[in-house]
Amino acid sequence: MIKTENLTKTFSSGTKAVDNLNINVEDGEIFGFLGPNGAGKSTTIKILTTLSRPTSGKAWVGGYNVQTEPVKVRCAIGYVAQETGVDYFLSGRENLVLQGRMYRMDGKTINRRVDELLELFSIKDCADQLVSTYSGGMRRKLDIATALIHNPRLIFLDEPTLGLDPHSRSQLWNYIRMLNGDLKVTIFLTTHYLDEADKLSHRIGILHKGSIKIIDTPDKLKDSIRGDSVNLELKGSAKDKAISILKGNSKVKEILLENEHVRVYVNNGSEAVQWMIKLLNENGIDVSSLSISRPSLDDVYLKYSGASFKEGDSEEGGEPWWAKWQKGGWGKNWKGGGDWKQEEGQEGGAGETGGADSGNGEWGKWSPEEMKEWLSQNKTVENETDDKGGSAVSANKEADSGNGEWGKWSPEEMKAWWSQNQKKEEEPSTENNGECKMEKDDKVTAENDENIKDKETKDEENSEEPWKKWQGTPEAAEWWAKSGKKEG
Amino acid sequence: MVQLVSDTWYLFNKYLRITLRMPMWALFTIVQPLIWLLIFGQLFKNMANLPGFPQGRYMDFFLPGAIIMTVLFGTSWSGVSLLREINFGTIEKMMVTPVSRVSIVMSRVIHTAVTVIVQCFIIMIIAIIFGATVSGVKGAFLSLVIVFLLSLGFSGISNGLAMWLKREEPLVMLGNMMTLPLMFLSSAMVPKSFMPEWIKVITKINPIDYAVEATRAFYSGGASLHTILVGFLFLSLFAVLSISWATEMFMNQSE
Repeated sequence: MIKTENLTKTFSSGTKAVDNLNINVEDGEIFGFLGPNGAGKSTTIKILTTLSRPTSGKAWVGGYNVQTEPVKVRCAIGYVAQETGVDYFLSGRENLVLQGRMYRMDGKTINRRVDELLELFSIKDCADQLVSTYSGGMRRKLDIATALIHNPRLIFLDEPTLGLDPHSRSQLWNYIRMLNGDLKVTIFLTTHYLDEADKLSHRIGILHKGSIKIIDTPDKLKDSIRGDSVNLELKGSAKDKAISILKGNSKVKEILLENEHVRVYVNNGSEAVQWMIKLLNENGIDVSSLSISRPSLDDVYLKYSGASFKEGDSEEGGEPWWAKWQKGGWGKNWKGGGDWKQEEGQEGGAGETGGADSGNGEWGKWSPEEMKEWLSQNKTVENETDDKGGSAVSANKEADSGNGEWGKWSPEEMKAWWSQNQKKEEEPSTENNGECKMEKDDKVTAENDENIKDKETKDEENSEEPWKKWQGTPEAAEWWAKSGKKEG
Repeated sequence: MVQLVSDTWYLFNKYLRITLRMPMWALFTIVQPLIWLLIFGQLFKNMANLPGFPQGRYMDFFLPGAIIMTVLFGTSWSGVSLLREINFGTIEKMMVTPVSRVSIVMSRVIHTAVTVIVQCFIIMIIAIIFGATVSGVKGAFLSLVIVFLLSLGFSGISNGLAMWLKREEPLVMLGNMMTLPLMFLSSAMVPKSFMPEWIKVITKINPIDYAVEATRAFYSGGASLHTILVGFLFLSLFAVLSISWATEMFMNQSE
């Protein structure tokens, strides 16, 4: 269904977004396309959907060459972009009809298809309401429905569940399975969520720096890890020492470094914990936290991309230019807070001040104490992924983006959602109390001769930036109008 | 060709529908020209008494100017809404379909021009209520054709600039910046006989001047065939050039 041959895309800036990519997607499968930000996922999709031209190499989609027969390719595929492309000022039905017209279908066929799709995605009841009144999940469903109007054999889903609540997410998964199972649509799926790729895909391709590292079924990929991983959290220089000690041990299969954590792969995790702690203690190394995990796609990912999933490079330099621009702020990112997290989370340090300051919507009503408490609850998770205390900032990013779906949530719902969402990525870790961690981080900062106060100011500036970008956009205006009403 | 027309038609329909849903928004843009018309009509009332002033009343003289001003204000939003659509991902959704790229630009430009015609019509009616004279229905109708052509041209420029600048702020700024000088460098407010030589030279390449002159000729009823023909030809050329440029920019930037 999709075949690429040494597909390469070099941007005018010289960055190679896609580098000699060779993939082969079979008829009828769900192909999961994974990779950190900047790996070239979106660029690949843009080339395959004829939105962008490759610099060199060839690609066939649905049997047609993307460069020489773009119109045939367009007719054969459906594309669901990261940003819901449905028009807010039209009704659901109008959006579907228009999309049908764009595919130059005749009126009769369009009407039949529209009814089918409205039924299929159970959006019939609000088909004649404006899309601006839809919830995020509904909009997503409509978006997918519009991509299916012409009955394509293949659809591209670019991070379809980004920014959706858990319920809408699992609902969407069911639709994706149904499309593939009942309607025999081949699906090319990119996602940030490893569990999503794991659950949905028949095969997974891991992309790193523009080229495919491995393609296989999720199960085989997990099997290839063989064994459990013991995650150690060590302080400073102890890390290197521990690695050199453990390396020599015959029971250790592999050691990977992920931020502050050392992942040690062994056959039997629970047994390994005992000798490992003993061994490390004997050598005078303090282990601040330890956890065992069964192999997950996380480990596979780590193995093949050589980096933590959360550790993306800069954002993808996608073409056309607006793709980049859409992501670069401009009031678009608020939808999928996840992106902020990756971009800003690493740079920014912790700062409750910043969080409370720029917190708006529901967040603004929290007292600093509540905030702290909440942060400490979620701290564990965050610290696993983000570097030093990026958590507060990332949480605060989510707060910033508090509008649209988010703005409507109460703090309780928000908390519930957050914890639910994070649980999936969470590795159980012991004695890693959030409060402690926070202090530790501050100390580290101080040791680095950085004035904490300065840092906080900096954080405030940092955290203000996306907010500024957001201001002046139509969403902002809408949000202000809404919140003004509430207060008044 | 048939596909180009039908693609343009369906997209135009979409934009029209959206505008009809929020008619107030389209009406806001006429507030400013209206204020200008009423204030300028009063402020420069006595200018009509100066020797060498071509027509009886300043209001009559300025009405075409106000109409053209409406065109400028109305069209400058076209590019902004293109950027907004790109931002929302709606354009990308169109780009993955086989729909003609030219018709995406065409439908936007035509939609803007049609909106502007309605706005100008309202201005005209209000001006007549306030005492301006428009001789004959035919003249009024033909003036709207001029408005249509000029709107096509300027919304083409607005869309092209949008693709070039890629941001809303500079686009709006540039639009505002362009409006007044272009107005002053035409006979919209001051008759040509009052102008210094160098401005007269500039008016020769200013599409606004052609539009103002033609509109004025229609309203006064004493239109010479020459003015009308030259006006139509120049404005058609302007429209074709600017739309081609906008389309070119759109195709370049999006692929």
